[in-house]
Amino acid sequence: MDNLAPDTPILELRQVDKRFLGTHALKQVDLAFRQGEIHAIVGENGAGKSTLIKILTGAHIRTAGTILFQGKEVALASPLEAISLGINAVHQEVVLCTHLTVAANIFLGDERTNGGLLRDRAMVAEAQRLLDDLGFDLPAGAVLGDLAIGQQQLVATARAAARGVKFLIFDEPTAYLTRQDTDKLFRLIRRLNAEGVTIVYISHRMEEIFQLADRVSVLRDGQKVATHVVAETNERELIRDMVARTIEEVHYKEHIPAGDMLLEVTGLSGPGFRDVSLTVRRGEVVGLYGLVGAGRSEFVQCLFGRTKRIAGEVKLKGETVAIRHESDAIERGIALVPESRRDQGLCLNMGVGFNLNLPVFGRISPMGLVDTRAEKRDAAKQIGDLRIVAASASVPAATLSGGNQQKIVVGKWLNHGAELFIFDEPTVGVDVGTKVEIYKVFAALLKAGAGIILISSYLPEVYDLSDRLHVFSRGTIVASHEAKAAHPETILSEAIGV
Amino acid sequence: MSETSTAAPPATRRPALKSHRFGFLLNLTLLALLVVLWLALSVSTDSFATFGNFENLLRQDSMWSIMAVGQTFVIITAGIDLSVGAVVGLTSTIIAMMLAGGVPIWAAIIVTLIIGVVLGAINAFGIVNLRLPPFIMTLATMTALRSFGLLITDGQTIGGLPLNFILFSSHRTLGIPNLFIIVILIAIPCYFLLHRSRWGRYLFAVGSNPEAARLSGVSVNRTIYLAYIVSALLASVVGVLVASRIGIGVATTGQGWELQSIASSVIGGASLFGAVGSVIGPLLGAMLLTTINNGANLLNVNPFWQGIITGLLIIVIVYFDQLRRRKTR
Repeated sequence: MDNLAPDTPILELRQVDKRFLGTHALKQVDLAFRQGEIHAIVGENGAGKSTLIKILTGAHIRTAGTILFQGKEVALASPLEAISLGINAVHQEVVLCTHLTVAANIFLGDERTNGGLLRDRAMVAEAQRLLDDLGFDLPAGAVLGDLAIGQQQLVATARAAARGVKFLIFDEPTAYLTRQDTDKLFRLIRRLNAEGVTIVYISHRMEEIFQLADRVSVLRDGQKVATHVVAETNERELIRDMVARTIEEVHYKEHIPAGDMLLEVTGLSGPGFRDVSLTVRRGEVVGLYGLVGAGRSEFVQCLFGRTKRIAGEVKLKGETVAIRHESDAIERGIALVPESRRDQGLCLNMGVGFNLNLPVFGRISPMGLVDTRAEKRDAAKQIGDLRIVAASASVPAATLSGGNQQKIVVGKWLNHGAELFIFDEPTVGVDVGTKVEIYKVFAALLKAGAGIILISSYLPEVYDLSDRLHVFSRGTIVASHEAKAAHPETILSEAIGV
Repeated sequence: MSETSTAAPPATRRPALKSHRFGFLLNLTLLALLVVLWLALSVSTDSFATFGNFENLLRQDSMWSIMAVGQTFVIITAGIDLSVGAVVGLTSTIIAMMLAGGVPIWAAIIVTLIIGVVLGAINAFGIVNLRLPPFIMTLATMTALRSFGLLITDGQTIGGLPLNFILFSSHRTLGIPNLFIIVILIAIPCYFLLHRSRWGRYLFAVGSNPEAARLSGVSVNRTIYLAYIVSALLASVVGVLVASRIGIGVATTGQGWELQSIASSVIGGASLFGAVGSVIGPLLGAMLLTTINNGANLLNVNPFWQGIITGLLIIVIVYFDQLRRRKTR
């Protein structure tokens, strides 16, 4: 390995492609990581960063393309293979066993034994030496779950360091770290790097990239758009690369004149967000943009009555309302189309018609008995109006495509007669054709006099569709823009907090 | 639009529950299995195909059938009720004590059923308000209620029940044993509750995805209360019937019946993962188990075999259920 030239890639992706059902997550990515460098990767949410990590760690298998490790072609078909090659990752969410001790986690899968019996004391001692050596002030005998999330992150890093790793990927490692822990982590990264470990560092935080990395690659819409030497670039250039638009992107929007005031929120504060004020009129799309964790979802959860309001006022159609529970919101005509259709939006193993009628069984059940004729009629109307592609109203929702599932979630609220629709990341994981279908549903809702709050981490989408755009950062609105009044680069800068 | 939407429905003649088609096939299979068993037993034993035995079979079946229907309500919400056997034991003891103490029959029955409702509400309180897993909460009430029955009777048998009360279970109406008539009288409203009412729909929704149900305005908590109250209420009905049938109050009555009811429910097509189940399924499941039980007795098979047969049956049926699930995925 010493005879390799410094520029030789340790790991190289050639024309790597990854498709999931309906989505093209990575498009012919060429990417070379040089032996011993710190290589940052940036991109908007959904640009393909997570998919890239999963392919590098063997969690997903690429659809096409080749991967070379130290010049030799590798299959990289399982996590085990990646680990045996010396490729390891530290994830944003700690994936360790919180009930076991720090030492047990560090040696998990590689335990020190004596005739089949665990040598617990020896492992704790060895783990403690490792932690001390790395400069982490952590007790090896402590139960992992008793430590703060940031400290758990350090344990995860120590675990990777203990494995004789050659190639280490960090996925937004500082998201939950304190300032001091971040410094410790950076020291460790530099030290591992000095020992010859190649580092891939994924982060939203620009300052970290300029502090740490040698080179930086930008992903956008599943494609690698550029690789820069960090010393020769600046934040402005990176942000431009991240948001530059592809021409074929279609965001279907009809112009619909705004009508009466539907929702007025003044100074609303709650868990995870503070002092949010905004208005929605009939016929309007109000976009909420921000990075994950900026407080957008927390705000709508509170608006929908799922969490407690701390301060502020909510007016619906001119009337001050107290929404204490989801059912209050639903009764007043607010519908939440949640981010995770599968986990929150649908009863997947139940029929399409069942799901479409779930919010209205109370209405179509005189004396408690369901009027099955009304049930069928309502389901058929929504299936027809929204053009939901399903063999029948009784097939399970799970058998439908992502876009059609999304239509069911919208359809059940149309059926219920909601007027204010909150869409949380409505187009995540759906293909372009379905996206257009969903945008057409938006238009239909607006024409019918509804108002829409659209949460999206995908800037081109909120940018094109919103009549007004509010930028969230660190729990509050940091900027508001009328339709297309600001440049996308400005908006991204505001969200990142540059 | 109205033209096409009126044309569309013919494809959806069945109610919008997907479990129906598979459930229908399973029910047919169970029915076929029952008929085969009955024929085989009629041929191989002299005593099976007699009027007396058939009546006996129906009486035995009634207890497990009623419990299994209640258990199914709970299982559809992805829960489990281990306390039903203990509820049978306790309520049968309590009604025996009341009757022996001279309380009028109608009043004793009403009080017993109210106790059943309260016991179900206690289970639901632990699961909903204290957030205990159903398995743990009902395991705890199962243990506690069983001991409570022994405590209040001091382990003694309660005798001296009014003759009218005892005779009810051995009499028949229109040639059908009274106990089995009770099964029918319970199954019909349960069918409407589960398959035709909004609350039935909510049971399925909660079992399928409680989060989606909540976001759709369904009161998940109330739905869970409903399930456990129905289960315990039906168990207390069985408590009344069993007191009438054996004519005494014994606190250990119904031991192991919780497992019989779960087995009947699962054999009848309910899924322990929730959102799949029916009323007819557990009725057939309980009849199948009763027939196996009865047949084994008549054939002089070592009674210890019965459990082994039941166990194998559960494995086979749940295996086929899993197989179907994997296919639809």
